[in-house]
Amino acid sequence: MISERLQNIILKELNLNSFDFKDETTANQVPGWDSFNHINVILAIEKDYNIHFKGLEILKVKNIGELQKLIDTKLQN
Amino acid sequence: MFSNIDFNKLLQLFVYDPQDHLFFSTSFFLFLFLALLIVYRLTAKSRNAKIFTLIFFSLFFYYKNSGYFFLLLFLSTFINFYLGNLLYKAKSAGIKRLLFILALVIDLGLLGYFKYTNFFLRILNDLHAGNFQPLDILLPVGISFYTFKAMSYVIELYIGSMEPTNSLKDFSLYMFFFPNILAGPIDRAVNFLPQVENDIVITKEDIGRAIFLIMCGLFKKNVIADYIGINFVDRVYQVPLRFTGVENLLATYGYALQVYCDFSGYTDLAIGIALLLGYKLMDNFNVPFIATSVADYWRRWHISLSTWLLDYMFKPLQMSFRKWKIYGSAVAIFLTFFAVGLWHGANWTYVVFGLIHSTYLAVSLLTIKYRKAIYDKLHLTGTKFLKVFQIIITFHLLLVGAVVFRSDSLKTAKNVFHQIFHFFHGAVFFQWIQGYSKVAILILLGYILHFIPKSIDKKVQNLITESPLVVQALLLAVMIIVVFQVESAQLQPVIYFNF
Repeated sequence: MISERLQNIILKELNLNSFDFKDETTANQVPGWDSFNHINVILAIEKDYNIHFKGLEILKVKNIGELQKLIDTKLQN
Repeated sequence: MFSNIDFNKLLQLFVYDPQDHLFFSTSFFLFLFLALLIVYRLTAKSRNAKIFTLIFFSLFFYYKNSGYFFLLLFLSTFINFYLGNLLYKAKSAGIKRLLFILALVIDLGLLGYFKYTNFFLRILNDLHAGNFQPLDILLPVGISFYTFKAMSYVIELYIGSMEPTNSLKDFSLYMFFFPNILAGPIDRAVNFLPQVENDIVITKEDIGRAIFLIMCGLFKKNVIADYIGINFVDRVYQVPLRFTGVENLLATYGYALQVYCDFSGYTDLAIGIALLLGYKLMDNFNVPFIATSVADYWRRWHISLSTWLLDYMFKPLQMSFRKWKIYGSAVAIFLTFFAVGLWHGANWTYVVFGLIHSTYLAVSLLTIKYRKAIYDKLHLTGTKFLKVFQIIITFHLLLVGAVVFRSDSLKTAKNVFHQIFHFFHGAVFFQWIQGYSKVAILILLGYILHFIPKSIDKKVQNLITESPLVVQALLLAVMIIVVFQVESAQLQPVIYFNF
């Protein structure tokens, strides 16, 4: 499940009104989430949750479900 | 019956000869490939027999094209297999990192030695840092492609996004696989290895698609690219100053099409041949000249290289520079495209080519907000007019890069631009049409075929799929005859074999 908070951050960053996010959704399926905007989304998530991703952690993430999991683990630590 | 056969000559066919390569479009390859398909069919029940057949054939294919450099391929395969698996199993992060760096240093070191040593010496000479004689180093064909394939394995293991294979045999097939060893597509281990591990299924659709791709590939490479290259583009680019600006411009339009047909035609052959063996290679092209921006173009051109650099170089750099926000991305673009340029070869023209493209992308990134605002204000957003306008502008921006890319030196490129901007003589166009009518027809045909909607491609492909085997074979035979009819006297290697 993708949390409302994460969905809102992504929607706001990509100027989208709504999008049906699923665990297996990949970045290139979301309108506007290209390789340039990717870093803006990551920065917005880091800022909103006040967390810091390591380069390797982000490279490993394959879809939004995995991104949510990564955020959850960061918040628990 | 065999008294007339010169067995010595026959044997020579199987020995490496620098003048006689074994490319996909040669009759000898065709003969060997048919033999391979028969053996492949006979060994259908044993997975191991199939893999060993392919490994053996691939090694022979590589040996025929590069001689004893196949030993280097062996070396690269062993090193990356063992280092990759060691680093995956390493318990401590430090050792993992150390092994990863070691693999990268070896891979890039080998690539660098063979590709860039003489370029580096030339730079030192130019800087008057000494007087170095160029070394006698031959470039092993395909090294840029298989090194990147090997690196993708090690990098994915380091990131942790795939499991290693325990089979050196499977990994060897990934590295040696003859359809993509000379000029890609640079397939990822993560996509290819599961195919080696699982049973091979070749569907009716696969065969139809393979025949369609092989026909397209032969036509694009051997008819369009080779003909316009030899009969027009090469002549102009040899001495641009002998031709008017309009001819230089037409040669550049021709070259953009030539390099596309040459490389994507070769890729079609590679993908088609692999499909007949039951392997699905990644797509490498997606109608690149329909791109509405330079960034869009790089999502459509040489996709296996651009995604490789995007995933393994641009994204990590972008993450490291993320504090500088949009400017960090711009720096990442410049560094990545410096690598794109150098990857193509050790020449200043390629470095400048990379610089031109990185400038396009960086400017596009930094101005995107303002351009969007202008389009909105003029009510152009989402209109067909804007799309066509963007396609035309993008295409001509690409042509600037193409001039530099094709030229053997920056001086040649300068001469081409000089002729176009200062010696245009537009009226010569009509003489050109008369003098080069076949070239003109092929250029026009090539561009028309390029812009044909994908749905029509798909329909033709389905038609071939539904045809009986005899008709499929007949279609292929007709295309091969057409190719032999127009083929130039000398075999034209694929442009990307040099990279």
